[in-house]
Amino acid sequence: MSKPDEGRRPLDYDVMVVGAGVAGMETAASMGDMGYRVLLVDKNASVGGRAILLSKVFPTLDCASCIVTPKMASVSHHPNVQLMTYSEVDSIVRNADGSFAVDLHKKASYVDFDACTGCGKCEEICTVSVADEFNYDLVTRRIAHIPFPQAVPKKAVIDRRGEAPCTFTCPANVKASGYVSLVRAGRYEEAFNLHLENAPLVGSLARACYAPCEGDCTRGDKEGTVHIRGIKRFLADRYYAEHSEPEYGPVETQLATRVAIVGSGPAGLSAAFYLAREGHQVTIFEADAEAGGMLRTGIPPYRLPKAVVDRDIKNVTALGVEIRTGQRVASLPDLKAHGFDAVLLATGASDQNGLAVEGRDLDGVVGCMKFLHDVNLGAAPDVRGKTVMVIGGGNSAMDPARAAVRLGAGRVIINYRRGRKEMPAHDWEVEGAVEEGVDLMLMSTPTRFIGENGKLVAVECIRMELGEPDASGRRRPIPVAGSETVVPVDVAVLAIGLLPSTSTFDRSMKSGKGLLVADPHTRQTADPDVFACGDCVTAPTMIINAVAEGRRAAFYMDRRLKGLSLDAPFDGVLPKTDKSIVLEEAKGFVKRSPVVQPALTVEERRQTFACYEKAMSEEEARQEALRCMNCGECSQCMECVSVCAPKCIDFSQKPTPVSLNVGSVVVSTGFKILDPATKALLGYGRYPDVISGPQMDRLLAPTRPFNAVLRPSDGKEPERIAIILCVGSRDQTVCNPLCCRIGCMYAIKQAQLAMGALPMADVTIYTIDIRAFGKGYNEFYEQARSMGVEFIKGKVARIEQLENGNLALHYEDMLGEGGRKVREHDLVVLTVGFLPNTDVFSLYKGGELAADDFGYVREVDPISEPARTNVDGLYVAGTAIGVMDIPDTVLHSGAAATQAAAYLQRIGGGQ
Amino acid sequence: MTEERRIGVYVCHCGGNISDYVDVKEVAETLAGEANVEVASTHLFACSDASQQEMIEQIREKNLDGLVIASCSPKLHMFTFRAMAERAGLNPYEYVHVNLREQCSWVHKGDRPGATAKGVNLVRAGVAKAALTHPLTPLRIETQPRVLVIGAGAAGMRAALALADMGLSVYIIERESEPGGWTAKVGRMGPDNRSGPEVAANLFERIREHQHIALFTDAELTAKSGHIGDFQVTVRLRGEEDLSLNVGAIIVATGFEPYRPRAGEYGFGLPGVVTLQEFRRMLEACEGPLTHNGRPVRDVGFVYCVGSRQEEGEDCPEPNAHCSRFCCMATSFSASLLHEVERKSNQTINQYHLYRDVRTYGRLETVYTQARADGALYLRWDPASPPRVEPRDDRLAVTVKDTLLGDEELEIGADLVVLATGMVPRQNDSLNDILKIPKSKDGFYNEIHIKLRPVETAIDGVCIAGTAQGPKNLAESVASALAAVARTGALLKKGFVNLEPLVAKIDTGRCVWCGECFNACPYGAIEKIHIGEKEVAMAIESSCKGEGGCVPVCPRDAIVIEGYRDDQIMAMIDASLEEAVPA
Repeated sequence: MSKPDEGRRPLDYDVMVVGAGVAGMETAASMGDMGYRVLLVDKNASVGGRAILLSKVFPTLDCASCIVTPKMASVSHHPNVQLMTYSEVDSIVRNADGSFAVDLHKKASYVDFDACTGCGKCEEICTVSVADEFNYDLVTRRIAHIPFPQAVPKKAVIDRRGEAPCTFTCPANVKASGYVSLVRAGRYEEAFNLHLENAPLVGSLARACYAPCEGDCTRGDKEGTVHIRGIKRFLADRYYAEHSEPEYGPVETQLATRVAIVGSGPAGLSAAFYLAREGHQVTIFEADAEAGGMLRTGIPPYRLPKAVVDRDIKNVTALGVEIRTGQRVASLPDLKAHGFDAVLLATGASDQNGLAVEGRDLDGVVGCMKFLHDVNLGAAPDVRGKTVMVIGGGNSAMDPARAAVRLGAGRVIINYRRGRKEMPAHDWEVEGAVEEGVDLMLMSTPTRFIGENGKLVAVECIRMELGEPDASGRRRPIPVAGSETVVPVDVAVLAIGLLPSTSTFDRSMKSGKGLLVADPHTRQTADPDVFACGDCVTAPTMIINAVAEGRRAAFYMDRRLKGLSLDAPFDGVLPKTDKSIVLEEAKGFVKRSPVVQPALTVEERRQTFACYEKAMSEEEARQEALRCMNCGECSQCMECVSVCAPKCIDFSQKPTPVSLNVGSVVVSTGFKILDPATKALLGYGRYPDVISGPQMDRLLAPTRPFNAVLRPSDGKEPERIAIILCVGSRDQTVCNPLCCRIGCMYAIKQAQLAMGALPMADVTIYTIDIRAFGKGYNEFYEQARSMGVEFIKGKVARIEQLENGNLALHYEDMLGEGGRKVREHDLVVLTVGFLPNTDVFSLYKGGELAADDFGYVREVDPISEPARTNVDGLYVAGTAIGVMDIPDTVLHSGAAATQAAAYLQRIGGGQ
Repeated sequence: MTEERRIGVYVCHCGGNISDYVDVKEVAETLAGEANVEVASTHLFACSDASQQEMIEQIREKNLDGLVIASCSPKLHMFTFRAMAERAGLNPYEYVHVNLREQCSWVHKGDRPGATAKGVNLVRAGVAKAALTHPLTPLRIETQPRVLVIGAGAAGMRAALALADMGLSVYIIERESEPGGWTAKVGRMGPDNRSGPEVAANLFERIREHQHIALFTDAELTAKSGHIGDFQVTVRLRGEEDLSLNVGAIIVATGFEPYRPRAGEYGFGLPGVVTLQEFRRMLEACEGPLTHNGRPVRDVGFVYCVGSRQEEGEDCPEPNAHCSRFCCMATSFSASLLHEVERKSNQTINQYHLYRDVRTYGRLETVYTQARADGALYLRWDPASPPRVEPRDDRLAVTVKDTLLGDEELEIGADLVVLATGMVPRQNDSLNDILKIPKSKDGFYNEIHIKLRPVETAIDGVCIAGTAQGPKNLAESVASALAAVARTGALLKKGFVNLEPLVAKIDTGRCVWCGECFNACPYGAIEKIHIGEKEVAMAIESSCKGEGGCVPVCPRDAIVIEGYRDDQIMAMIDASLEEAVPA
């Protein structure tokens, strides 16, 4: 600890080391050994850097593990070293007293590291696989993962780069990505149960949801959106076929609190479900004869069979929720008098908007809700052979029109005052209607209903034209004077908007438009024990909005009833994933065309109220689920949560900012690897058997994928291996004139290891020079030559794939006869160059951390002051100054430690 | 046999290094049922943090009192597992390391059943030894906060400064009469065109100003005794006066020697054939045109890899197989220096660089690029037909088969031929006798492990820095010097050091002082003491390395080494023969 000098800030640590590869670990352990208190930060979940991913190391052929794990263990057990993994440095500023103010944050890992035991159960059950960066993308790993077997600390992390667009867009945030990935994994019951967490009416939504998720699906930007609702239909149907009743009963802990819910539509049912799951005693009052609200009466059965609604309602009633049908609630005080502690109003919006047109009251002019209600209850008017005109252009116009077709109407007309493209109904609804024979009468509006004997016989319509855009941005329709025509019509259905069903409530509770007034966040009304949600608050929306409303209201009612503050966040939804990142990543993915959901033919549809879509088969559903691009990385299928014994998975985790004062800083941020595809003519990315040097090291490592050296294309053991040196090094064409310094040696090492693993294989190294300059290196090179590794001095110009799958290397042989030659190989390793990790320069915010001509951290005086940068007190260790081998890195890190120690001595900090 | 022990046996897969050739599961299962074994299991990587954690839990849970881990060489992980045992609350000396990799799996790759059977026997022997362990306490030594640095070249001087900056006192001794080493003599250096003499002078200046550093020139180490943390050293000044110093650690920065070519090697000995070092001095001294023999120089040939990357032959019985690392850069940099002379004096000089591989690694590539831009021509030769340098008229003729021109034989006329002589270890037998630092195959001082402990030596408390360890350029030398300082600082800043208790114990009742052990000990750890009238030998614990040379030479069997006691060794032999020779 520093002396309490005047104005000196106490040090939280004597030194912060950024980056826990070989250099960082070595520096940290060295300084810790000297007695300094060290904070070692790494952005990855494990320390070890790149070296731990190597196979063996030259020239001794020690396992990389043997070399690196002792260093990893030493920093993790060192009494003076504090590890901070999965954390990033945001800012470093030098203070006037020579110490440094640093801001960092611990990234959200969604795993409580203190509790995690590294058992790997989450990894086993995780349903999402991605390319495994720790195997340089040779194989896949799960999203919940422990980076590699020797990781330190051995803790799982879960990758979440954002909310999947489908889940984010869903008003109820139903974890579409989650149940899709569960279906992909064949875990259908889990998929159903996951759905219940956000919406209990799985069957109804599977058929009648307008699926905003599909509208925002990233696959939609490629071969077409994933048919998420189709997958849901499959899982719901399958679940209900196997479970005629829910598998659960009322929750164990029943509370004394009583809740009344007015309205049994999707909002009321959903609220009841989540309140009952918390143990409250819930009673729903429904004015109609049967529960379900709009699900029951507002949606025609060809879209939503009523048996499905019944089964969905069982999900709610199984929890002990009582539904009293035929009971219209007239007075709120009455409910309170009956002992209800809280009331939720969820009465919906099914009152008909009127049309101020002559003849409105004629027999045969009906509201769409009334019409659909009668259709649903089997009391539809007899329209066989008659003409039905539906007035309106929204989805609520499509339902009566298409229902009328099924009722056997002679002619069905949709009359809409704007044009086709202005119709607010979904395109596929309009198209479906037209397919079924509905006539569109566009740019027209009724001016008069003409009756005979009080009964409708015709509608007088006027032609419209579009004027200036109105407030909604759509062009305002204007009647064209004198263009009236009379259309014979037997039944006219008004589908021109619905009003909130709030007529029974006191005016003081309502806004001007008749909507109930409730807090937009909590859904609490002016009376703190009365909440309101759904269409009666929001005006008409979709089923899924009402479900979302119900769950939100239930969440805050529960808190109110338990005496908790309502000042609490509702749902931990992350920002939406940037689709462009997903699309960029998916560039190389195979094309996956949509699975077509089976459906009835048009002719069949016209005849029946049976559901017009059929469920996908299991195979089709899984095929379709495979098209999901895992936009958010973690799909939130929650399987890991279910298997984690120490209960350490926490999706509400947030990044934790930390601000510290440290005496000195050492950056050991390493290097980056050049993308081998940059050298396009060498075929990396096009030919699977052209791999990079780091990938070859993984194939040779003891922890290698497949536990064998296999060529990626067909899993065959390679027999003629080529290793090409200087790919993107010493190469002006990729602006990297530097020698990579370690490529020759690691290629020679790989050649020796490959010959050991594959005794029959020939190994050829294509080279410019062999730079075997370190202690024992030249001897190692000579050993490779004596083992029979062939060295060809020559640059490979291009690689082509032959018909037999092998690779033809076109190169210039610089020795002997010389000239252009072609050689066939069956595995090609590109010893790629390296690039500076320029992220380091953004860390220092107190001015500019100087770079050298090649973008590495500049040492101001490499000859007598190694590791010193232009910032006094900030040192650099290892490959951040330029790539080097492990021995040189270790030495350089020792130098950095010495420099930082001297600095601490100088500023009077430390120990 | 004493009472039953509770030993944990852990067999490591070493990620396949062992388990590919030895059935580790069978080894563990076999041992599980045997006497003294409480638990036996396997781990993919016993050294990994998670495995260690598991073992620690098991040691605590099952209250184990002994530990056997069968894994790699103890050189790699014995200390890892000792530390682990200690964390688990077990005395680290009740842990026994069995080497199942170097001593079993790697040498029996073709015989899995045989290797497995041997593995079982090795582990059994380990268990037998562990059953006879008892807790030992390390010897705690107070350390002296003073360091001796040997060699006042750039590495030694920079190390001294860094040690003093840490608050340690430093004695730096230099055999020559001037500090600075080769750096002071080299002139300008690549890749940054820094002046060696300036760098050396600057370091010397800083040393003179530092009150905690004492520099002695014309000084040689003549004696060393004591041990890590507390050495007594004798330094002879100017060949006459002896100075006794007490230091806690020693850093050896004695540098290299340039290779001296044999007479006739690439024409060495002919007028105009010079070493790289001589050529650099010519360039430094050159004002105006470069001349040789009174004539302006027109053609210069450079022969690379002289004294490096040698192959055994009649004229080269003890080849230097190593690459000298710095010479490609230094010679290519010389090309630019020569070009500068050429340009300044309006002279035309053709440069021919005869190389094998240009090893200008990393950013040194820029030096090579610049050399070519400065007119250096590179011709590549193969060791099968090396270049010949012969006198031709009053100049030199260099004949080379250029492998890049289809092995065409070229003859180059040259005024000067520069031999890019590499680095070889210093010949310093008297110092070697005192320090006893092991050497590696190339003759340079050997580190304990190039990646794990690159500046430490087998002699505790003695670190190596700079080119004494192997060829390096100046920046690398200085970095290694500072790394040696980091280790030394870690040792001395703490104020104490724990020494291994695995040392010799002499039964004074049996001993009759014959002096055999005294003669056998390479560490001077035996001294004669008197017990009453009787003269007996005693082992100095702090000097003893537990090396054991004294044990077999004792005619009275009076000496044991802790950790390798006779009863333990006998038990190990018995255990490993258990099945081979049925009772």
